[in-house]
Amino acid sequence: MSSLSQLIRNENMKIYRRPRTWLMILFLIGTVALMSGLMKWDESKHDAGDWRAAVTERNAELSHVVQNNAELGEQSRSDLQNQIKLNEYYLSQNIDPDRLSVWSYVNSSASLIILVTLLTVVVAADMIAGEFTWGTIKLLLVGPASRTKLMLAKYVSTMAFALLLLVLCFAAALVAGGVLAGFDGLSLPDISIDASGMIHEGNMLFHALEKYGYSVVMLVMYVTMAFMISAAFRSSSMAIAFSLLCMLVGNTLSALLSGYDWVKYLIFPNIDLTQYMDGATPLRPEMTLGFSVSMLIAYYIAFQLIAWFLFTKRDVAG
Amino acid sequence: MTEAVLELRNLTKRIGTRKIVDNLTFDIPAGEVFGFLGPNGAGKTTTIRMIVGLISMTKGEARIKGVSVKEQFELAMTHVGAIVENPEMYKFLTGYQNLVHFARRHSGVTKQRIDEVVNMLGLQNRIHEKVKRYSLGMRQRLGVAQAILHRPSLLILDEPTNGLDPAGIRELRDYLRKLTREEGISVIVSSHLLSEMELMCDRVAIIQAGKLVDIRSMQDAREQSQSKIVLEAGDPVAAQHLLAQLFDAAQLAVDGTRIEIAADKSAIPNIARVLVAADIEVLGIHAVQKTLEEQFLEITGGEMVV
Repeated sequence: MSSLSQLIRNENMKIYRRPRTWLMILFLIGTVALMSGLMKWDESKHDAGDWRAAVTERNAELSHVVQNNAELGEQSRSDLQNQIKLNEYYLSQNIDPDRLSVWSYVNSSASLIILVTLLTVVVAADMIAGEFTWGTIKLLLVGPASRTKLMLAKYVSTMAFALLLLVLCFAAALVAGGVLAGFDGLSLPDISIDASGMIHEGNMLFHALEKYGYSVVMLVMYVTMAFMISAAFRSSSMAIAFSLLCMLVGNTLSALLSGYDWVKYLIFPNIDLTQYMDGATPLRPEMTLGFSVSMLIAYYIAFQLIAWFLFTKRDVAG
Repeated sequence: MTEAVLELRNLTKRIGTRKIVDNLTFDIPAGEVFGFLGPNGAGKTTTIRMIVGLISMTKGEARIKGVSVKEQFELAMTHVGAIVENPEMYKFLTGYQNLVHFARRHSGVTKQRIDEVVNMLGLQNRIHEKVKRYSLGMRQRLGVAQAILHRPSLLILDEPTNGLDPAGIRELRDYLRKLTREEGISVIVSSHLLSEMELMCDRVAIIQAGKLVDIRSMQDAREQSQSKIVLEAGDPVAAQHLLAQLFDAAQLAVDGTRIEIAADKSAIPNIARVLVAADIEVLGIHAVQKTLEEQFLEITGGEMVV
């Protein structure tokens, strides 16, 4: 009888022995490098000389606005005052807020998780449908491994691939940032100000991981959906095309349908949890973080059950 | 009869209202090459795929070495090696990597065993090349290799000769014979090529419209097959007249210049002597054995599609 770990080794072999996988990895690293280069180039254009003078001047303008605009709302007033406090803190700590640090590059790389998702979706969509396309499904199934075990091995390998891409994305941004902005920036704190005007120094690594974390929710959902689609289709090109379509059309579709209250039961309006972070508004006013999380859990279970049912219960003929 | 490697009990597959396979019950003893014969669509492939779990059973059960395929699939499959149609391999992997892939599913397939199988099938020179560069014949050999890595007790071949040229078919047949001899495994093979089955199998089951029509031993079939003598003579009318004195009228059939005599070849010298003595020119005379195909056409009522 097959052990799960051996089956996972098999699936990994089938992922990493394909040249396509290495092209994907190169593409991801190349994109991180390109983005970092563009950030550096953009910064160099705006080099203002004496940053202390610039920040002081900016604070003077801000206090002018706060003092002379009586019609300013309560919220905007406190936002501006917080901004002034933050700038004063930068001056006192001798930190240039406009200068890119290694962490700026890492934080920006979180926006490339959409690319990690895209690449993993392609791999996931190919995972089961590919065996049908290659004609290897029969030899795969006629063995001392139950279909449930085979499917689990495939899912685990797909998720491991996603994790690998995430780690590479993070590491590439860290290296690029370190080379372009110096590794001494690693010790910089994450400076933020809360609603009551208190300044906090947080851990930058923690902040970056938090940014990654929200995007990973989206990644897991889309990849699991692609995996289900892969079990439904018997051609990998169809499965890849359909998965990418769902991923790309989802947001547009939910924006178009935002007028209807049932739109909140679709997966797409719930998939981006950053909409509940401060300053952002969810698609529908009645949506809450708890609601979205329960919707995502429900969808996740449904995807897994449908995939399992499609893969284990269907006859393989022809 | 020795212990049965495969037992089928009331195996049935129904799709909608149609019974593709209808109540198949039979045993296959150890050490036998067993063939499934039947017209296209008779249910051979469906039966085989139910045995290996690719298709679910509507009713009944299959036991491999006493282990139910339905209840203990993984355990039952440890005894089985299979080649289902043309074995498609992972083309982006080398032959060796493909074998490692299949070996990992079984516990206890060592590196030495992989090498042994590679040598046995004569693949050692190109085993580290990518499978996409293999010819169909080599892929077939690799297919046999993955099926026997774990020393199965039962080898199941579903239409193994599809798409192979005659040389490839012959090669496969030689390997199968070698395997049954050297590894002592039982083989189930389904094919629509009767001549192949005739050469490979010890026994065949004839299946028609999902039902078992007959099981017969090829040994018996060969012994029981009546032979006939075909004679071509310069003057067939005179020849027939003469032969009527030697044989019953029922044994003779005339087809143009050809006369068919239902008799064993031991009658040939006598026939020749009589004809030559009567000065009738003998253009040709030879014994013909009824082929397996003709026999099965009789059994299946002429519906055999080959």
